[in-house]
Amino acid sequence: MPESTLLELANISAGYGGPKVLHDINISLSAGEFISVIGPNGAGKSTLFKTISGIVTPASGSIFYKGSNLLEVEASRRAHLGLAHVPEGRQVFPSMSVLENLELGAYVDKTGVEFRQTFEKIVSWFPVLGERQQQLAGTLSGGEQQMLAIGRGLAANPDILMLDEPSMGLAPTIADEIFERLIEIHKTTRLSIILVEQRVAEALHFASRAYVLEAGRIILSGNPAELQNDDRIRQAYLGM
Amino acid sequence: MGAMYGLMCVGLTIIFGVMRVINFAQGEFMMLGMYFAYFCFAWFGTYAFFDGLWFPFLLALLAGPAVFLVGLVLHRLLINAVTGRQASQLEAQGHYAQLVLTLGIALVLQNGGLFLFGSSPVSVSNELSYSAWEWGPMIGERVSVFVNQAQTISAILAVFVVIGFGLLMAKTRLGKSLRASADNPDAAIYMGINVDRAHRLAFGFGVGITAIGGGLLASNAPFQPYIGTEYVIIMYAGVVLGGLGSIRGAFLGGLSIGVLQQVSAIILPNQLQNTVIFICFLIIILFRPQGFFGKKDRTA
Amino acid sequence: MSVSGVRKDFLHIALFGLVYIVLAALVSNSYYLLIMTIVPVWAVMGLSWNLFSGYSGLISFGHAAFFGLGAYLVALCMVVWELNPWITIPLATLAGGVSGLLVGIPTFRLRGHYFALAMLAYPLALLYIFEWLGYQEVALPMNREAPLMYMQFENPFYYVLLGLLLLLFTLVITTLISHSRLGMSLLAIKLDEDAAEAVGINTLYWKLVAITISAALAGAAGGFYAVVLLVVTPLAVFGMLVSAQALIFAMFGGVGTLWGPVLGAIILVPLSEILYARYAADFPGIQGVIYGVAIIAVILFAPEGILWKVRSLLRPGQFRMLGSSASVADFSADESLLAVTHDDRNETILEVSDLSKAYGGLQATDALSFKVRQGELLGIIGPNGAGKTTLFNLLNGFVKPDKGSIHFQNKALLNLRPNRICAMGIARTFQVAKPFTHLSVLDNVIVGAYVHTSSRQAAGQIASAAIALVGLEQQCDLPGANLTNKELRLMELARALASKPSLILVDEILAGLDPEAMQEMLVVLQKVRALGITIVIIEHSMQAMVQLVDRFVVLDHGALLAQGSPEEIVKNPAVIEAYLGKKWLENA
Repeated sequence: MPESTLLELANISAGYGGPKVLHDINISLSAGEFISVIGPNGAGKSTLFKTISGIVTPASGSIFYKGSNLLEVEASRRAHLGLAHVPEGRQVFPSMSVLENLELGAYVDKTGVEFRQTFEKIVSWFPVLGERQQQLAGTLSGGEQQMLAIGRGLAANPDILMLDEPSMGLAPTIADEIFERLIEIHKTTRLSIILVEQRVAEALHFASRAYVLEAGRIILSGNPAELQNDDRIRQAYLGM
Repeated sequence: MGAMYGLMCVGLTIIFGVMRVINFAQGEFMMLGMYFAYFCFAWFGTYAFFDGLWFPFLLALLAGPAVFLVGLVLHRLLINAVTGRQASQLEAQGHYAQLVLTLGIALVLQNGGLFLFGSSPVSVSNELSYSAWEWGPMIGERVSVFVNQAQTISAILAVFVVIGFGLLMAKTRLGKSLRASADNPDAAIYMGINVDRAHRLAFGFGVGITAIGGGLLASNAPFQPYIGTEYVIIMYAGVVLGGLGSIRGAFLGGLSIGVLQQVSAIILPNQLQNTVIFICFLIIILFRPQGFFGKKDRTA
Repeated sequence: MSVSGVRKDFLHIALFGLVYIVLAALVSNSYYLLIMTIVPVWAVMGLSWNLFSGYSGLISFGHAAFFGLGAYLVALCMVVWELNPWITIPLATLAGGVSGLLVGIPTFRLRGHYFALAMLAYPLALLYIFEWLGYQEVALPMNREAPLMYMQFENPFYYVLLGLLLLLFTLVITTLISHSRLGMSLLAIKLDEDAAEAVGINTLYWKLVAITISAALAGAAGGFYAVVLLVVTPLAVFGMLVSAQALIFAMFGGVGTLWGPVLGAIILVPLSEILYARYAADFPGIQGVIYGVAIIAVILFAPEGILWKVRSLLRPGQFRMLGSSASVADFSADESLLAVTHDDRNETILEVSDLSKAYGGLQATDALSFKVRQGELLGIIGPNGAGKTTLFNLLNGFVKPDKGSIHFQNKALLNLRPNRICAMGIARTFQVAKPFTHLSVLDNVIVGAYVHTSSRQAAGQIASAAIALVGLEQQCDLPGANLTNKELRLMELARALASKPSLILVDEILAGLDPEAMQEMLVVLQKVRALGITIVIIEHSMQAMVQLVDRFVVLDHGALLAQGSPEEIVKNPAVIEAYLGKKWLENA
């Protein structure tokens, strides 16, 4: 494994009990990279993240993170190692305030000392979070919740940020705004990012490398510019 | 009185709020708290040092941590098997198993208590239990309200415990992790929170706090091991009234039930007091299950 | 088949009765005879609890209420009016049934925890009321002149006989129910209440029937108990231990089985009685501890009861099945049983107008309006989160809209419960398959057929036709949980077809299927369509859909984005943007 590879999935097959959702997945991520995983619905994208986060245990295959076997680490310990997961559908803590949600994002940091600084940075990227600090997360709009979820993911200064369909259910303009912030964040922090998206164009536009997932298998991978015009993507999504 | 009920209700609601488990054995933990206070009082009370008026109250507070530890152990051994993540595999998501398991624990504790402690009523008392301050005269010239001193001090302590615990939940990292586990367990795992451990702590806190309430009540009236059953419905009535899952609601709920009981004692004969509480409980459950402060839970 | 199943059970019951009586005749110790009398009482309680909670899945902690009422009725009638038990025990049964009904009507509005809590409250409330009324201890008067009349026998053997008769009666009733539509409906409710509703089962009605019968039996048990013990106190008949015992015997022995509660009673009652008698002085409360430990042990190690555990040990790997079918499939049954006729090909079968539904801040469905033509195959598509499943939930009756209306065959569907909607002719499959896991495939489909007929024969025929149509003949005896993904979806389809719908809502039936299976499924869908049934299908896999559907309706953010033929839709810029994004459009 080359020096800078941060995360490597090899031959991962996983499912929820019975039939497998993912078949023989191979993905690698280097430090500082921004990669995308795209694919139509039901392709298994969320399952992929859940497997990395430990909610789902793979039936076969291995995951290596910073050189050691991630599968030996229990799910709730993985965040402590620098993996941040921004789940599908935001999943904020609805009855807690914006500030508390962010504090929880930094849960792995026991003393909370660094949090103050990180908080300032998060607010600089998403000012609305600073304005609505005390507001209950459940009352925020969809776009605001998404920003909160991303901020929460960033709060612990993770090494890898995994974003699961951040544009889902959001109006296109808001989704665009969020993507732009993500790019900024990536440029300034050089954080490694894995973006899972249904919307092809955005995902390809920002990433340096992309994988296309369909029916649980990687059917294409490589440089977004090449993939952009590949007819197989069009077929996978639109059927003709 | 209401305040102590309130305290016990808070214990119950913590368990439900975080774990979504109805604990039938809650009354039995209260009973444990009472007996803890009693035994310590009996053993140590003879030493002059401990002969202060404040001693029973201290014991009540100590009952909390003691029962807390018991709760932790019980959870690790038994309850964990039917709640939390493993539970989704079981039928009806383990709800069924949880109810029945806690029923089993209740039976064991209750009857084990009968065996260990004997069936004759005992009590913890000192001068304060018998003295009262007089408020009055109030209505007319003949009616005064007597406020029992021991009860008053207990009530004040109960309020302090609730406030203290409330602060714990609101301000500390631990408290927030418990609330997060209740709010959204999956997301909590993503944050690195060990949700199983959070459940264990919640259970411990829940039974510990109820035990403190029990300890405080111990100096109120004589009790025997079956007393848990009597109070279980009162606790649930209070919790449901205030809304399952809300600490503030639970306390106020318990308080209201206590007040209701005292008021009905004036008008109704003894046995019917509890019936009134039941009827209230049934009415609330049937018409407004989320109580006053609770959240509308679609999958109750 | 079901007849032979019933006969087999009756045989077992008769055998059991015979053995028991012989045993009782051989035993002369009156204490043991007393135990042999009490065992049937508790077995009946266990069976009555099992009938309701074991089959429906609603845990009742309050059966003591019915038991106690029965006991007090018999006792008080004897004390006050000198009525003999031969009259009053049947009365107690009636009283039990009525109180069951009265309890069920308000309490069934509750789900889960709240239901259990409410049930707990009833007997305890009654306990306090009876204490207050002054009936601390009601002793049945001895009637030496006419012992037979008053069920007071010198020889305890007769008590055993009566107890056994009561038990046999209960066993017969339980057997009949378990092979009937009631039993099947209850099981369906227990395994998946939503699916049961969608398939046309009026869950409230069946639950009420179940609790009435169950409570009646409990009342009878209570009445007889009073006669045996000759003394009734509130704690003894209304106390938590009574409800707990009903539950424990059923659970310990085996939930949802005929013999489980009997087994539980036979093992636990003598055990606790004997231990109590020997050790009560030194260990008061030993009964409770034994029961408590038993229940904890059962929950942890054999959550479904001993009977099931033994079965799974003897036949490892065999799945635990409920329900009563052995194969009755008559595959000569005609597919035309399922056919639907139309008057006018182009008539609108379903019309949605201005339908809206919001969840908190999220508008799941936004002023949606469209029509579905009779006999067509309509595809509903849209990106993730577009509100497709919400639409089905609205159409099906699981969710009430905030605004707007739905008309099916010119009848309004608003505020109707899902089972009514099913009876009217709309069936549904679910995105996450909801099989009745512990029922065989055949039984799963038969449940669907019961909505239009009560006869098992007829239901069996319709079910067989449906199974033949989807091609699951080979699997029809397998339990619902052991099916592959493809088979599961075919079964859901068959179950939906069995309710003889005019319109089927198909929710992502192709998800997770490999290309071969997908093709099979498409063929089946074409067959369904050929029968004249209208199909509305949600899918993601566009490749499959474009071959299949007549028309598309495209949703985005809950609102109608476009509708038209597949060729039109795929070229529609708004659609392309919604799926692939604006920049794709710019680059394309």
